[in-house]
Amino acid sequence: MIRVLGIELRRSAAAGSALTLLVVGVLTLFFAERIGFASGWMQLAMSQRLFLALLWPLALAAGAWQALREHRSKTAELFASTPRPRAQRAVPTLAAMAFAVVTGYLATGAAGGLWIFDTAEYLPVQFFTVTAVGLLALVAAVWLGLAAGRLLPWRVTPPMLGIAGLGLLLLIPGATRPRGWLALVFSPIYEMNMPGEYATVPARVSAAQTVWLAALAIAAVLLFVSDGWRVRVAALLPVLVGAALAITVMPHQNRVVTDAIDPVARELVCAPDEPRVCVSRVHSGLLPEVVAPAREALTVLAKLPDPPVQVNEDTTTYGPMSFAPWRPDIVLARIEVGTDGRLANRDTVLTETVAAAFAGAPDCEQYPASPDRLAAAYWLIGREPAAVTTYDPEVNEETRQLWRELRTLPETEANARVVAFRQAALKCAAGDGLFAGSSR
Amino acid sequence: MRWLTLYLRSRRAPIAMAAAAGCTALMWSLWSIFSDTRAAGIPLVILTVLLLVAALTVTLGGPDDALEQTAAFDWLPRRAAHLLAILLIVVVLLLATLVTGARFGPAGLVIRDAAGLLGLTALSAAVLGVARAWFLPLGWTLAAILFPRDEPLLGRILTWQAQEPASTAAAVTAGILAVGGLVAYAVAGPLRVAPAEAAQQ
Repeated sequence: MIRVLGIELRRSAAAGSALTLLVVGVLTLFFAERIGFASGWMQLAMSQRLFLALLWPLALAAGAWQALREHRSKTAELFASTPRPRAQRAVPTLAAMAFAVVTGYLATGAAGGLWIFDTAEYLPVQFFTVTAVGLLALVAAVWLGLAAGRLLPWRVTPPMLGIAGLGLLLLIPGATRPRGWLALVFSPIYEMNMPGEYATVPARVSAAQTVWLAALAIAAVLLFVSDGWRVRVAALLPVLVGAALAITVMPHQNRVVTDAIDPVARELVCAPDEPRVCVSRVHSGLLPEVVAPAREALTVLAKLPDPPVQVNEDTTTYGPMSFAPWRPDIVLARIEVGTDGRLANRDTVLTETVAAAFAGAPDCEQYPASPDRLAAAYWLIGREPAAVTTYDPEVNEETRQLWRELRTLPETEANARVVAFRQAALKCAAGDGLFAGSSR
Repeated sequence: MRWLTLYLRSRRAPIAMAAAAGCTALMWSLWSIFSDTRAAGIPLVILTVLLLVAALTVTLGGPDDALEQTAAFDWLPRRAAHLLAILLIVVVLLLATLVTGARFGPAGLVIRDAAGLLGLTALSAAVLGVARAWFLPLGWTLAAILFPRDEPLLGRILTWQAQEPASTAAAVTAGILAVGGLVAYAVAGPLRVAPAEAAQQ
């Protein structure tokens, strides 16, 4: 059997399929959109699932192409004359093609993994379940392709099947609206786009998708090995049972995946020494980069009365609204991950952290504008505001102007303004900015 | 006339044309039933063009291309005419929908994509053989539909299928592919494969 499998791997479309999936997968992962998986392993797994949009139809086409082999070489009749059950001949093909798509998908994941290997530290168990569901989706697709190629042995079947596969994936969300959870059952790519920092896929969602895809794969195997109409009709049974079961298991609410938050990924992880600097677990690989500027910011802020003594990452999420824990002696710093997996705001993290001390609690209704906060921060640091390319040009201009106004004031008065600004911010009353109550 | 009949039969043109018409009818009905707007979505239009080109690809090769090559007449104009006829069928089928309740347009996009994809298919048929001619058009077009880029210029060239009809870069890319495919296929013809495989083409 192993020997036959080896021959089948060499003589089938397996190698070509695996290579195609790998090349297409890597190209889409890195170039189709801005690299969206740099912040962690979960983001990588979900991005790969999203790009099944392309790989899934290609796997269908690859399966159908392989199934046409006997037809192409006109040996179908010859093989039909052998006194062996068809299933025996089908198993090596099924195994070889499944092995091919699994290899292609895992190799794509490995390429993405190399990119984030040294920065991503948090590896949740959901990473493996999401990847496993992706693998199952591809195996089901390639087996469905084999079945379709066997039942419809025409030369147009593979491209038509590929086009139909993409059309199906594009149509599922529209066809199931407003019941988005139905789309989540039948489409392996649904709600996998733009995973947030604390994104996760609930276990029940993965379970429902596994049930449906497994049912699809079983039906495809039955169709591929079938010799008569009885088995072909019987193949309907797993599809129906699988769909019913998957719909039962799936939580019946919309945005289950989009709104899911992994609390463990969001927990704070702190650097060992004082003063305390903490980032969320998913960003723990960035801690060494964050610690130095964060501590420098605390040193700068020490000039204020009742200065903050700890820097935390701002883990506020807006999907479901959930504020980061806050105390007056904590500064909430925003951490952005670049496409290289490292800290994106490396040059501005110091000023942004100092400026964050003037923001107050994250659930304040009155929120000081960012030019006011930045001007106060630059004044405390004692540096001229730099033009930051990632900000709005207006913000840069206004910051510079406010900073100049602070500089024209006598030292003590400017200091009093900045201190008052912070006191107002801590009481959620800094909405009027740095020069509140003065005649500027 | 007799030659033409035999030629079309050897290339299975009737069934391919029926398939193309059937695909158009299917996509047209799908859009008519499931949508309230008249103009079909751009991804669906591109997919339909790809579908029609794929359905007509089979006619690019005969049962024995090596034998055909020995004919005592010039293949070049015949092959070129064959490609132009396929282009005409695709364009006419889709433009006919513009007067109905589900429009597969705009015309500029249909003509550009049909010409470009047919050229790419013809080029693949000349290089890889007719059986594998759909590989590149399918993979490239599916990717372009999913991830269209209109910035920078390279993005417009690489996802030419999904660009606006007015895009010059996309039109030039499609034109190069169309002319390249026309020349390659008309001059060289489909790749001649080993007889065992050619037996069932």
